[in-house]
Order: sequence, then structure tokens, then C-alpha cells
Amino acid sequence: MDIKNGKIWALYLLPWLAYQASAFEGQLHGTVEISAHERGEQTSWTSGGWGMSRFGKHSDGLNVSRATLEGRLDLSSAWSGHAVAQYVPDPSHKLGFTEAYLSYQPLAKRYQFRSRIGAFYPRMSLENPALAWSSPYTYQYSALNAWIGEEVRTFGAEFELKRPARRFRSKYDMSFLGAIYKGNDPAGTLLAWRGFAPHDRQSVINERIQFAPLYALRAPQLAQQGQFVEPFSEVDGRFGYYVGTHVEYLKKHTLRLYWYDNNGDPSVLNQKTRQYAWDTKFWNIAWRSKLSRQTQFIMQAMFGNTAMGERRGVDNDFNSWFVMFSHTWQRYRISARVEHSKVIDKDIWQFDPNASQTNSVTVNLKKQLSAHWQVGAEWQYLDTQASFRPPVGRDENAYENLWRLTAKYQF
Amino acid sequence: MKKVIGLACFFGFSCQALEVTVKDTLGQPLAGAAVWLEGGLWSVEPSSLLKKYNMGQKDRNFIPHVLIIPQEAQVEFPNFDSILHHVYSFSEPKAFELKLYRDKPQAPIKFTQSGVVELGCNIHDWMLGYILVVNSGVYGLTDKQGKIDLPLNPEQLGSVNLHVWHERFEDLDKPESQVLTIKDVSQKVQYQLKQPLLEKFDFLTDETDGY
Repeated sequence: MDIKNGKIWALYLLPWLAYQASAFEGQLHGTVEISAHERGEQTSWTSGGWGMSRFGKHSDGLNVSRATLEGRLDLSSAWSGHAVAQYVPDPSHKLGFTEAYLSYQPLAKRYQFRSRIGAFYPRMSLENPALAWSSPYTYQYSALNAWIGEEVRTFGAEFELKRPARRFRSKYDMSFLGAIYKGNDPAGTLLAWRGFAPHDRQSVINERIQFAPLYALRAPQLAQQGQFVEPFSEVDGRFGYYVGTHVEYLKKHTLRLYWYDNNGDPSVLNQKTRQYAWDTKFWNIAWRSKLSRQTQFIMQAMFGNTAMGERRGVDNDFNSWFVMFSHTWQRYRISARVEHSKVIDKDIWQFDPNASQTNSVTVNLKKQLSAHWQVGAEWQYLDTQASFRPPVGRDENAYENLWRLTAKYQF
Repeated sequence: MKKVIGLACFFGFSCQALEVTVKDTLGQPLAGAAVWLEGGLWSVEPSSLLKKYNMGQKDRNFIPHVLIIPQEAQVEFPNFDSILHHVYSFSEPKAFELKLYRDKPQAPIKFTQSGVVELGCNIHDWMLGYILVVNSGVYGLTDKQGKIDLPLNPEQLGSVNLHVWHERFEDLDKPESQVLTIKDVSQKVQYQLKQPLLEKFDFLTDETDGY
């Protein structure tokens, strides 16, 4: 799907769903998050700056950090339409759809078949099970899932066959998934030229995301590359795929394993959009254990490779992992996450260093005030090391301590 | 005599009830077993069909987990969650499906055929509930001590079919039965299962499941 078609698709789906709403039943949920931030000292990458935190020095200290609407429309017993609309203030009041798809899930006595067709998240994360792919644990997602949120999306069809535990009087749920898609060719760009960053800014369909004015982009080899990424655009015309499996034991222990390959042809460039196809592939493994009704651990790791250019002039391995602990009592939830991410530069283009490291600790405390209102505070320590900063006279290392207070309304 | 029974009831003594204790094959008391009496004297009373029976959904579980209703009764399916449930049954006595939104109740369903109706949710596939449709006016579920008091009146004495069912039976469509003679309205009966139960599964679900 190219950008133009994608835009038309997204623009027409929701009004169509809304029109159909008079004939069919559905439900609408939404959230509004009002946040006060401690802003980073640098301008954020979303505004084309060098800052690694979402809200940099040109952001408002108090804003609606995110508002969402999630709609479901039941078209028949098995078919339903789904769309998630999102507003974010950065960089300049962006409104769009993060997901829009049709779901086919017929009633089944034993094995469950399910298919999704459209634009949607692969279900790799165990950190983002809440409304509109948000996290019930911390405000800012781990760098790994933040990257999925900004550069990974399926524009195609996913098929799942599940053996649900209860229907087989078994302790184990098992399911196998596979998807084919287009329109995810530039995924990997931000890892090379910004590095991993923990944040909660999800990209909407057809979005263009800025990053800093890198020295490397002045080189003739990269003259065709824009100082931005359009992560969901189609460049090489090839299909990508992913396969995955989910295993659960009594819903206490959950494992998700995925292999993702966008099958990008790194030699192809779209001169009009100034985007390359990146050959991006990775393993993603997520694990969750509930130690009790109150306490759980979540771990997730990703490792892979991304490359662009005819001779893989940019060629990077990457890996990222986090461990999170979350505990609830009364109306409170406390969550703490430690994470480490790394981009390893493998290519011979000396003028374009891509190596970076991101370490972060995030602690969040939330209180549910009522069925609709929740308040919370989050502290994040962010330590990044990036080899692409010294060529423009900046320190390779950067440290940030970030506070955020958020009031969230949900319906 | 009635006064004496009334006084005994007042002081908490069991009275005018058949006390059934269900035990498993190892002799351990069994909670959550459905017990009902079948026979002419214990049949469905028309007034009980006017009663409202509910199989709700709350926190992504069916509440109650097991509901016993007399044949011909109607059941409503209120959804107390803010999210949609897609409730269905493939069971022989009643196959149906309902998409249940909060605050949009569907018309009640009438269960005309006796038997076990197994309920699931197509969205939250761990949700499991049972409706037992019985041809009886005297029924109940055993408590933690494996006990249930089945209220009787002095006219309901005689030979009766005692049925016992539990969700951990291998074949859910085959309740166990025994012929019983009720001689007294405060009789105590012990019933030991003839079959071993399947393993008990404790699923641990919360609001983060289902994604």
C-alpha cells in the first residue's frame, strides 16, 4: 500500500463504519491523558532535535499528552470493524489513526480461527494490553515497544489458529500466527539515526517522523535520504511477513515468540518520498509471570538486523531488553522497569556512525480514583550514548532525569 | 408439631430440609456440586418460572459460575463490564449466541429442554459458565463443606431420584443418579461420587488478559 492509498483507506474507513453504525451495534471507548512534564534540555527528535525524551525544551510543560478513541462495530456474528484514532500534541497537534482493521472471528467449538485485515499492531508486546495499545504499567513504554509503536505496523492480513485451554479442558493455551503485509519498508531508520528511546508516542498511519540533522545526511551517499522517516510507506513493492506463537499456562505464565521480516530490498529508494527500503528482521520474545493476583513480572527481548543502501551501506545489528515488576494493592499500582538497548554498527561507511546505547530505569505509581479517573507519577532516568553526536560537536553521552504527572480519564 | 419445627428453625437447627453432603471418591467434601431431586412430588412449581434468573458477566467471568434453573425458566445475561462479551453455547439443550454490550440488555432466553448448557465468550476464551436446566423444583449447589439443604414440605416424602453433577465430570452430559427414599423432612443423606473427578484448574486472569 503506498502512502496515497493508505491515506484514502484510513480516511474512508471510519466514516463508513460510522455510517454503518445506525444499522449495526458497536462500542466506543476513549482516553484523555493530561500531563505535566519535566522537559528535556534538548529539542525532541519529534521536532527534529537531538533530545532523546519525547517532550523537549520547546514542548509545553502541561499538555494533553495523548487522547484516543477506540471504536468497534459489529457487522455480523463473526465480522467486526475496529479503528483507533489518536491525538498527540507533539510536534504540532497530530491527529490520525493508529489502527484500522476488520476482524473475522467465527464462533468455534474447539479450535479458534481469527483473522485481521487492515492496519494493526502485531501482538508482540505484553506491556501494551490496555486501550489503544497503551500500557497499564508505565506511561512511557520500554524503548523496545516504543520502537514497535513508532515504526512497526502491519498493513495486510494476519491469520491465527488457537487451541484455547478451556475448550480443550487443558492448562495450556496455544496459538500460531502468521501475517503478510506491505508498507513497512523504512522500519529501522530511527534505530540507525536516533537509537532506542523509551517513550509513549505512537505513530499514526501515514505519519512522517523527524530526527536530528545528522552529519551523515550531508554525505553524497545519503543525499537522497530525507531527515525524516515515513515508517509505513511502501518502497520496494515486496511483501513482508511475520510468524509467531503464543503459549499460556493457566493464564499465569505467558510466552510470545515472533520472527519479523519486512523483506525489504535495501537497494530501492523512493525518490519522491526520499525513503529507502530497509531490510529489517528481528526476533521478539516476551514473557510474563503472575506471581499472585497482585504481582507480576514482564520481560521482553528483541534482537535483529536492519540495513539500507545498495551495498548495505548502513548495516546495523540491534538488541533491546527490559524487565518489569508490577504490583497492585487497593487502588494503587506500582511498576518499575529496567532496560538496555544497543545498536551495533557493522558497515564500512565511516561517515555514518550508528552505534548507540540506551539505558533506562522507569518507576511509576498510579492511583485509580474512580471508574473513570486515574492519577499517577512517573520518574525516568535515561542514559544514552550515541556515536552520531560527536561529528556535529555534541557529547556522545547524555543523561536525563524526567518527571511526569498524569491525570487520565477513560470511558 | 409444626410449632416445634418452627422453633427449631428459629434456633438454627436444620428443619424441613433434606441435607445432602456430596463427597468425592476419596471421601473429601465436594463444593460446587449441583444436586436436584426428580419425581412427581418434586416437580417444577409454576411460580418458580416467574422468577428472574441471571447469568451475569463481571470482571470477565460468568457470575454465577454455575446456575441451576427449572425447565421452562427464562434467563437474562446482564453485562456488568464496560467491554463487549460475545456469549455463546453449542450445547444440545440450547444453542445460542448473544453480543452483550454494557447497558444494552438482550431479551431473556427461555430454556425448554433439560440438560447442561456450557457457556463461553468468543472474545475472552477463558470465560466458562454453566446453566443446568433441571426438571425439578428442588435443587441447589453444595457449599465448601459439600453440603446443601434442599427445602421440603411434609408432603414431599417418598421415593425420589437424586441427581448430582459437577463441572469436573469427564462427561458433562451425564449426571450421577441414585434412588433415594425420603422418610423425614429433616433427613441427612451422604452421597459419594462413583467417578473420579478431572483435575482442578485455577486460571489466574486479570484486566490485562485478552490482548
